[in-house]
Amino acid sequence: MTVYETEVPGVGHKFELELDGGSRLVVILHHDGKRELYLRPEENADSRKLFELPGKQARQLGSILEGAYFQPVEMDDIQVPMGESIIEWHDVPAGSTLVGRSLQAMEIRERTGVSVIAIQRGDETIDNPLPDTVVQADDILVTLGTREEQQSFSELAERTDDSGG
Amino acid sequence: MAKTLLLEVGIALTGIAIAGAVADRAGLSVIPAYILAGILIGPNEPSSVAGVSLTLVENREFIDVLAELGIVFLLFFLGLEFSISQLLADRKRIVKAGSVDFLVNFGLGATLGVAFGFSVIETLFIAGIVYISSSAVVTKSLTENGWIANPESGPILGTLVFEDVLIAVYLALLSAVVLGGGSMVDAVTSVGVAFGFLGVLAVVAWYGAETVERAFDVSSDELFLLRILGTTTFVAGAALAIGLSEAVAAFFVGTAFSNTDHTERIEDVVAPTRDFFAAVFFFAIGLTTDVTVLDDVVLLLASAVVVTTVGKAASGTLSGRAYGLDARRSLRVGLGLVPRGEFSLVIAALASSAGTETLRSVIPAFAVGYVLIMSVLGTVLIQHADSINAMLVSGPGGFSRE
Repeated sequence: MTVYETEVPGVGHKFELELDGGSRLVVILHHDGKRELYLRPEENADSRKLFELPGKQARQLGSILEGAYFQPVEMDDIQVPMGESIIEWHDVPAGSTLVGRSLQAMEIRERTGVSVIAIQRGDETIDNPLPDTVVQADDILVTLGTREEQQSFSELAERTDDSGG
Repeated sequence: MAKTLLLEVGIALTGIAIAGAVADRAGLSVIPAYILAGILIGPNEPSSVAGVSLTLVENREFIDVLAELGIVFLLFFLGLEFSISQLLADRKRIVKAGSVDFLVNFGLGATLGVAFGFSVIETLFIAGIVYISSSAVVTKSLTENGWIANPESGPILGTLVFEDVLIAVYLALLSAVVLGGGSMVDAVTSVGVAFGFLGVLAVVAWYGAETVERAFDVSSDELFLLRILGTTTFVAGAALAIGLSEAVAAFFVGTAFSNTDHTERIEDVVAPTRDFFAAVFFFAIGLTTDVTVLDDVVLLLASAVVVTTVGKAASGTLSGRAYGLDARRSLRVGLGLVPRGEFSLVIAALASSAGTETLRSVIPAFAVGYVLIMSVLGTVLIQHADSINAMLVSGPGGFSRE
């Protein structure tokens, strides 16, 4: 999709977007913030004004179109971090109870509250690891959570046997 | 005397405001409205109606200074919005369209001047006045009629950009000759000085963009505004003091800013100031216009209106074809360039500071009459472009068929 840009002296900028089917959307950005939108169904027709918006509303519309207001989420339970969350890197020593078990099996989020957002394995980084990813010795788990949660996970990662909750 | 000055300024500004409101209601450009307001309440005719004096505002030096600033800031914004990159990107087509526009219309203007027996200088003024289209009126009409989003806006705006360059050169030359003094040597010297000064400005504009950028990077809008106003007025004033066109100097100051990131901010913060000074400029033109002088130039005026309207329509249509537009859109290009306005008046203002009697009163009066007619005629032609196209397509017998 080609976008044509021209300056309109005394008015602002003009952008033309070619749409499928040969029609064109023409956007006029005025210096005072006003945005006008026209549709030209075909080359020989006149552009028809669809609407105009003052600067602020135009920017809001732009944000909505961009997906900033509503972004479809692929995974089902995403915890959105707020304020006090930090990111920590935890070493998984060879004898740790985490080694050889999947993230899901260890029930990390349920037991400690942190989310594992990445695993650094040697030179490789596995980001957004799936729940069935198996933890290996000398992995570095990158986790997101509050300080208390991170502390809780630290203790879990360093435990070498399964006794205790 | 001093006591009533404030009142007169107040009357002038109120008159301008009322004129603007009326024009807006009528859907026409404000430029002729401001001029008419000046004519009406100024010291010249019409001076009274049924014995009641209409002379509410005398021609005061104070208003002249505001008007001068109007010229300065009109040209400053022209330079600011002048897109050298657009000109270069589309240069082949713009040069074609612009040259046709210049050759046809400046040529017709010069022919008119010679045919009516004016001197060389006077003819040059007349040619400039009828050649240059009004960016303000044209752009406003394009926006109001939705043409701005159509292909015909390309050649129209391209031609206007080309005219910007030509008017800068034209004003520089003419000012140097007019302000420089009588003899040939004086004229040549002042042209040389003019181009030297402007050359320096152009170099600053081109290479100094970064310095300008930093020097004007101030967060307070108030300080920003003051810096812009101060710099522009100072440079324009300095130019005028050494006998150059303050308008062209202001144009170059504008181009110095057009390469920086401040353009949007200038549009935001300084445009209202420009609008104010420009309105006073048009009003002041009306104040100084003696409409009775128009009696002498009625024939010239009528011929100019007819000849140059056809001229622009024709040259514009050719330009449209050069851009590959069909007949209907090409005619729109032609009609779209008919409006004349602010630049013709800037040229007239220059004439009124010149030596000969003809230049001082006849040419400006002609320019005012011409602009009054052409700004309105142009707007109307654009609004009815499709009907005109239909008429031309179906031929002279089309009237009865419609």
